[in-house]
Amino acid sequence: MTALIETAHVTRRLIDPETVTLVDDACLKIQPGEFVAVVGPSGCGKSSLLYLLGLLDRPDTGSVRIDGILTDGLSDAERTHLRLERIGFVFQFHFLLPELTAEANVALPIRRLGRLSRSQADDRAHELLAKLGLKGEAHRRPDRMSGGQRQRVAIARALANDPAIILGDEPTGNLDSANTRLIVEEFQRLAHEEGRAVVCVTHDMGVAAAADRRIHMLDGRIVPEPGPA
Amino acid sequence: MNGIGVLAGIAFAHLAVRTRQTLVAILGVAIGVGFFLAVSGMMTGSQTDFIRTLIDTAPHIIVQDEQRNPARQPAVTAWPQAAVAVRGVRPQDEVRGLKDWPAMLAAARTQPGAVAAPSLSGAVAVRFAGRTEPLSLNGIDPRIEGQLTKIEASLVGGHLTDLEARPDGIIISRPLANRVGARLGDTLLVSSSAGVLQRMRILALIEPDARAGFYAGDNAAYGLLRTAQVLFARPNVVNQLHIKLGDPQAAEGVAVTLEARWGYKWVSWQERSRDIRNLLVVRNVIMYAVIAAILLVASFGIYTSVSTSVTDKRRDIAILRAMGFTEGDVEGVFLIEGLVVGVAGALVGFAFGSVLLEVLARLPITVQGKPLELPLDRGLRQYLIAGAASLASALVAAWLPARKAAGVDPVDILRGAA
Repeated sequence: MTALIETAHVTRRLIDPETVTLVDDACLKIQPGEFVAVVGPSGCGKSSLLYLLGLLDRPDTGSVRIDGILTDGLSDAERTHLRLERIGFVFQFHFLLPELTAEANVALPIRRLGRLSRSQADDRAHELLAKLGLKGEAHRRPDRMSGGQRQRVAIARALANDPAIILGDEPTGNLDSANTRLIVEEFQRLAHEEGRAVVCVTHDMGVAAAADRRIHMLDGRIVPEPGPA
Repeated sequence: MNGIGVLAGIAFAHLAVRTRQTLVAILGVAIGVGFFLAVSGMMTGSQTDFIRTLIDTAPHIIVQDEQRNPARQPAVTAWPQAAVAVRGVRPQDEVRGLKDWPAMLAAARTQPGAVAAPSLSGAVAVRFAGRTEPLSLNGIDPRIEGQLTKIEASLVGGHLTDLEARPDGIIISRPLANRVGARLGDTLLVSSSAGVLQRMRILALIEPDARAGFYAGDNAAYGLLRTAQVLFARPNVVNQLHIKLGDPQAAEGVAVTLEARWGYKWVSWQERSRDIRNLLVVRNVIMYAVIAAILLVASFGIYTSVSTSVTDKRRDIAILRAMGFTEGDVEGVFLIEGLVVGVAGALVGFAFGSVLLEVLARLPITVQGKPLELPLDRGLRQYLIAGAASLASALVAAWLPARKAAGVDPVDILRGAA
């Protein structure tokens, strides 16, 4: 089976003003249907790795394959299109556009991809919101919703173009335990029932425990999972 | 850039939440466009009116019995390549007047829509009640001259064609009549440089009225061509041809062509008014510079509005990029914001400018005690120029912050927010 995400010796450094290695020689493979948690202390490079997997950033060395496509030589426009088509992001702070309704937020990537008409995009957004238990909230703006609802809208938006890969950057970091459980269950469903690859950066050991696999990071490097103390 | 509707939707949403700032920016453009319309309407209107007066006051082409260059010596003509030195030769005294003028008149009349008439002009002195005034008397064909200029509209007390019934008739300006104390119907004693004296009766007065669009000066007078020929002792001689064309703008080209053929000086209205028209160009440059300054100030409003939007929406820009929007898309969102402000400002400005023009049109202005309506250009062209200028300034003003927005690195923003 082709891995949905595959990195080979990926390194990313930042010169600010001293050279800091954010990700160091990272090699990993994530298969369809896998729910993977990336864990490690703050500043260990978890989010930086996620941005590299999400094609928001380019590695200094090494390569990233998304759904079998080697992304190293792709132009910015090609990488952006790949992201639009195959990758969905969920962030800690929902990052919804405050001026738009929940439905309009979810419909944005669909309309940008341009494969569906406006009304079809709205229908799809409505359907996704309903799936996530937000049927009655479609026409509300984010500032009129609870934190859990906003994060579910953000998941709906990440799923808008039916991507194969969902990347979460501390998606439960701002939620109470009940909402965290809901989100984790949704991630598990997306991986196990829909066959997507879900990669979730988290500090929450509960979320990490719910994942199929954990990738541990320390000082930018992927390290073996520590054994029981 | 795909999905312009999506980008426009985001741009409209951004503008809608910053209502006050958006309205201020729109108002800035509207004021610029409104004053553009008012100022350019006045300037262009007055210029058009002025040029129309220039065209209508005198014939489009006047043929004079003068040459632009002295006649070539026969020896120079015979040996064009030779080094010819001619000494002590005086040009032959020529009898003034246009030779072969009936043929020239016929040639002029072949031009599309042309009306042409001969004229004999010269200096005379007019005497009345012991007062003497110099006068430039134009001997004309009254029936045709009335079609050449708007003189008929300026006459009071009579008509140009009255000259046909009274060969001893003369038409002078009212200011001149006032200076010598003469009235309509009075008889003046007119003397020419040829020593001929003739009594001439005032048949009409030329009123210096700006609205009539014709005034050749206080000392211009009109009489019958035959009478002028007698007065100047030059029977059958004419020294000017007056020509009006169907298309006044063609006058310069026609004059050049016919001058090359006939040799005399064919002076178009464009040549006569070249200095004045150069002044109009300078005036237009000043006008457009002032208007550009107004629009520049308005474009600062757009720049501030879009720039603030970019600063406020850095996080949204990052998330759009993470979603799969390109740099061009992000730039497009903010360019559309500027464009929307520009279009809305232009539309409001059109309404504002129309109101200003209407107010100007109704201003009670009097010239020499008579009401005068300001000549205003309210043509579509002015609106198109104003609209295009405001859109161009809006796009330029929005482009700089839009470029900045497109250059935002989403990773920097997302790292900062995490």
